[in-house]
Amino acid sequence: MSEADSPLLEVRGLVKDYPGVRALDGVDLTVTPGQVHCLIGQNGAGKSTLIKCISGLVEPTAGEVRFEGEPLPVGDPNASIARGIATIYQELDLVPHLSVALNVFLGHEHKRGPLLNRAAMHRETAALFARLGDESISPTASVSTLRPAQQQVVSMARALSHSVKLLILDEPSAVLDDVEVEALFGVVRRLAAEGVGIIWISHRLGEVGALGDVVTVLKEGRTVATELPPDTPIDTLIGHMVGGRMDALFPDRGPFRETTVLEVRGLTRPPDVYDASLTLHEGEILGLAGLVGSGRTELLRLIYGLDPAKSGEVEVGGHRLPPGRPDLAIRAGLGMAPEERKSEGLWLDWSMIRNTSIADLSRFRRGPFTDRAAERRDATRHLRSLNTQPDAPERPARLFSGGNQQKAVLARWLLRSCRVLLLDEPTRGVDVGARSEIYRVIADLASNGIGIVMVSSELAELLGFCHRVLVMREGHIVDELDGATSTEEDVLRSAVPVHHRAKAG
Amino acid sequence: MAVDTAPTVDVRTRLRQVPVQELVLPVVIIALIIVGVIIRPGVFLTSDNLLNVLTQASITGIIAIGMTFVIATGGIDLSVGSVLAAACIAGGLLAEYGSWMFMLGAVGFALLLGSINGLTITVGKVVPFIATLAMLTIARGLALWMSDKTPISLIELGILQGFGSGRVLGVPVPAIIFVVVAIAGWVLLNRTTFGRRAVAVGGNRSAARIAGIRPGRITFAVYALTGLCVGISAILLSGRLASASPVVGNLVELDAIAAVVIGGTALTGGKATVTGTFFGVITFGLIFNLLNLLNMPAEIQGIVKGVLILVAVALQRRD
Repeated sequence: MSEADSPLLEVRGLVKDYPGVRALDGVDLTVTPGQVHCLIGQNGAGKSTLIKCISGLVEPTAGEVRFEGEPLPVGDPNASIARGIATIYQELDLVPHLSVALNVFLGHEHKRGPLLNRAAMHRETAALFARLGDESISPTASVSTLRPAQQQVVSMARALSHSVKLLILDEPSAVLDDVEVEALFGVVRRLAAEGVGIIWISHRLGEVGALGDVVTVLKEGRTVATELPPDTPIDTLIGHMVGGRMDALFPDRGPFRETTVLEVRGLTRPPDVYDASLTLHEGEILGLAGLVGSGRTELLRLIYGLDPAKSGEVEVGGHRLPPGRPDLAIRAGLGMAPEERKSEGLWLDWSMIRNTSIADLSRFRRGPFTDRAAERRDATRHLRSLNTQPDAPERPARLFSGGNQQKAVLARWLLRSCRVLLLDEPTRGVDVGARSEIYRVIADLASNGIGIVMVSSELAELLGFCHRVLVMREGHIVDELDGATSTEEDVLRSAVPVHHRAKAG
Repeated sequence: MAVDTAPTVDVRTRLRQVPVQELVLPVVIIALIIVGVIIRPGVFLTSDNLLNVLTQASITGIIAIGMTFVIATGGIDLSVGSVLAAACIAGGLLAEYGSWMFMLGAVGFALLLGSINGLTITVGKVVPFIATLAMLTIARGLALWMSDKTPISLIELGILQGFGSGRVLGVPVPAIIFVVVAIAGWVLLNRTTFGRRAVAVGGNRSAARIAGIRPGRITFAVYALTGLCVGISAILLSGRLASASPVVGNLVELDAIAAVVIGGTALTGGKATVTGTFFGVITFGLIFNLLNLLNMPAEIQGIVKGVLILVAVALQRRD
């Protein structure tokens, strides 16, 4: 038992700077053997960066990580694995077309001479599944045929194929339904009983009480509470996560006008979106809620013309848009800020000015040439009006933080004087501190008469300042809620598919 | 630990700020000139010889300017050498109607073949490498077929020969046209919305679509533009040779791509420099000229050229 008393993992004063952002700002964390340690915090609080520092994928700027009393070499993932640290990331890193057993032993295959010893790997994989208490998966099956929950178990078996002492799970429950989550709890408890330390990262605060031994809360890269007991009331946890300024986070809802700016009727593109209709007014902020894969992003893409609709129509200001033509949608007054900002929204090596002017270059045409002075002047004016920091519009977008990059995308559509903005997860990858500023910018745009459709996975965000929230489920718009008076439970009740709903609410 | 590594990181950062990419070629060119002056004093650094370098380089150089735009969008055009031959022959078939009709035929046919490249890539959704590889063999076949495998004499076309080997105020016409095309290319890339959009498509196609750019149109236009450049080169080449030959232009595509790449344009697209391409063309021209002055055989030129490509590109990709 003496082993259980000495800490397995000690993190002290961990700091990680990225260009323009301090992701970690002094994190402390202690995990003992056999402990299930829940790590919670809002998106951008630094949870993912923290575990990447522990697993060696990211080199911290300052601070110390000790494992079993010895300092852990920083920035060396192989050293972390060799010492017994295994990490299962949000995006499962399995090779889809290899067998389960080959995935489990990827990188340390059993061999007989120069050849793979498949029999031995199949046998040991089966043994690992037995240890995990889930023998439903065949070691010879191709990983691509497995459900997400089963793939998660394969990832855990892979972790156990090394002698693991600390297992880190990054939002393992995000893609699972309730029954599968319960099964995963069982597996985790077994491992903890064997003396493995567990770090469990989750957004679902309900899980903390059901599974955890202790809770640590991160906020803006700092440990704001640690060693909390698992029966800590959820309100208290939320209080730590938002720092008691939840209300100040969101701007007030302004009034919107009667004029319709966007009318969508019966938009369909199987298998993602079926018969979606909505009406958006000038100055209105309309939220689109739903689980991942419910068709929210796909609906935005259809409205914008990025994908051609099979049937249905989109009207902007009474003007009907041809399908599959984003350039004409933009001409009619639409603008979009995509979810994957870096890969779909920006040219990271371009200056902020160029990123801002790109959607309206024709405006700067003087004869055959581009008037670069006017381009610089107008783009800079819009970037400044959104308080983009640092005020260095000539610098490449790469050097700016997520929130300020998002401002460049928004400035682009301000420059273009758009009438409707489609925002897909506008605060993803934005620090919590900078989020309230993005919210204020969005509310300001609305108060100037721009209609806004906003997709978000964060219910607090949707309910915090949207006028109305539409809920999508399996490709259909299934509910319309009033933003000011509805609760997260109301949204979830509509968003969760019926056959998963046994335990919802 | 962090304290120990901090100074090295600082030096490295500072080294990285040195614009190696823009400095490589000017340094190479100056080095080549110094070498030339040392080994061939009195011959190398004469205006005649240097204009000769520019003239020799003009045919590939004009094509390389068009190729810069193709590569800026993340594409490639392997067909330019064959299209050059096909354009010469297409012009040659109109030779009896005079020099201007020759030029119209050559430029028109090259533009047509370039546009077909653009269409197969955008409408047919064939990847550029394959689409232009197919055009490489098609255009060469057309050139041989239309000419019945025989060169067409252009000895009657005085104006055309003026374009190939004439001089204005002592400067060879091909050199003048190359410089004019390079300047036009620079303006098009850096000072027009088309140039900005071409780089935008190469840098991030999805983002370009979301920003309202139609990547297909831009892509089509850069291949057509390259066809146009090939047509201009066909005029200069046929004029110089006073004949239209179906076997010219072999490996011109590789010389053009090499010049673009050592100039600093990224093969992945999204970063392009016409100035770099111009210097790249001049660099190869100087090497060719120096080795000729030294009576080095052609195989040595190939080796030197290849090594230079590797060294220049390796230096530019240091980050």
